[in-house]
Amino acid sequence: MKNFRDIENLSAYLDGQLSASDAAQMEARLKSDPELESALRDLSAARGILRKLPARKAPRNFTLTRNMVGLKPPLPGSYPLFRFATVFATILFMCSFTANTVTPFFSFGFGGAAAPAAYGGMGGGGCDGPCEEAAMEEAPAATEEALMQAAEPAATEEAAPMDAAPVATAESAPMATETTRIAETPATKEGESEAATQDQAVETVNQAPVEEEAPVPFTWTLLFLFISIAGTVILWIMRQTAKRKWR
Amino acid sequence: MDETALITSAQQGDLNAFNTLILHYQDAVFNTAVRILGDEDMAQDAAQEAFISAFQSIKSFRGGSFKAWILRTVTNACLDELRRQKRRPTTPLEPETSDGEEMDSPKWLADKSMTPAQKAEADELEHAIQHCLNALPTEFRTVVVLADVQGLDYTEVAVAERVPLGTIKSRLARARVRLRECLRSFEELLPSSFRLEEENAR
Repeated sequence: MKNFRDIENLSAYLDGQLSASDAAQMEARLKSDPELESALRDLSAARGILRKLPARKAPRNFTLTRNMVGLKPPLPGSYPLFRFATVFATILFMCSFTANTVTPFFSFGFGGAAAPAAYGGMGGGGCDGPCEEAAMEEAPAATEEALMQAAEPAATEEAAPMDAAPVATAESAPMATETTRIAETPATKEGESEAATQDQAVETVNQAPVEEEAPVPFTWTLLFLFISIAGTVILWIMRQTAKRKWR
Repeated sequence: MDETALITSAQQGDLNAFNTLILHYQDAVFNTAVRILGDEDMAQDAAQEAFISAFQSIKSFRGGSFKAWILRTVTNACLDELRRQKRRPTTPLEPETSDGEEMDSPKWLADKSMTPAQKAEADELEHAIQHCLNALPTEFRTVVVLADVQGLDYTEVAVAERVPLGTIKSRLARARVRLRECLRSFEELLPSSFRLEEENAR
């Protein structure tokens, strides 16, 4: 049995990988060494058998598709900008919508305080800040106006027999109301009912600003929604156009 | 086919150019995978994986033999597959007797050599050679497949295997000796025309 160095060189000789001088030396040894020659025949036989192996044809084409290699159509340069704007608008919309929806559930004192305040400034508590301020700002004006309206007919009624009060003012209104109460005429009752109606109006006026008190204005929420929807549509169109062009 | 131009286009992301290269090399790639893995289905998967991987890394191709480069990719895919198999070996179910009871020590577990039935099945040159190829250690098998089955020269095999030329020389010699020994057991089974021939040395 030859040493493995000889086998290696024989294998290389078989493949023509030895230098010219090494190959000549090997040929000389082969002539004189039958064992070496037999080893060469074995190696040559093994190589010959492998070369006889039928080459297997590919059973199908292995060509690649864009999906297989994760290729995507080239998108326009403005695509990232639109995507950012759309995502940003969507986030803003969700935040504003959530804020507007959730806020009323966490501020019961808000609306609850408004009613008692409107009814005479008693009670309250829990309605600090804008609610109270609004009530305070709106209430006097509305009351004044209502009282003026309420006082007018009374003053007119009283002005006829007394020939007084040519002009009914806000200051004179309470006095006129008191006078009408003492007189207890149908006209004053009518005035009272009208005053009650005006009270209801005052209540409505006092409550109205509280309802509009949303953290984010509705128009903004609507605008964010519009931008996010429009952006999504534009992005979809851009992608479809890019795909069509790519094909 | 202008291979260099196709490679350049593929490096710039032209999938059609790369597909043209695939059509040219797919038989060699598949054949290499079949000989290394010894299974057609696995070879198909490995070939497909190799082409995907080759497209994704074609920018790293710096010239030389494209065939050697693509065969290196498929060889790596095959080695990955073999490693996966090693990690998750499949255990055959225990054979049962006619009564439906499991055999305690089935003969096919005790005897590692081929059964007569298997030998008869391997009464064909291809099966016999594939059996002997499968018996080789992986590093010898890949070298012998690339050199003797695919016909790459030593330098190309060294590029494909990323090992020194001397290692290729040594592995190839060892692989041939082992194959010769293995094929001796099939000599009687093979038709005379397929018996080991004594090639004249050059």
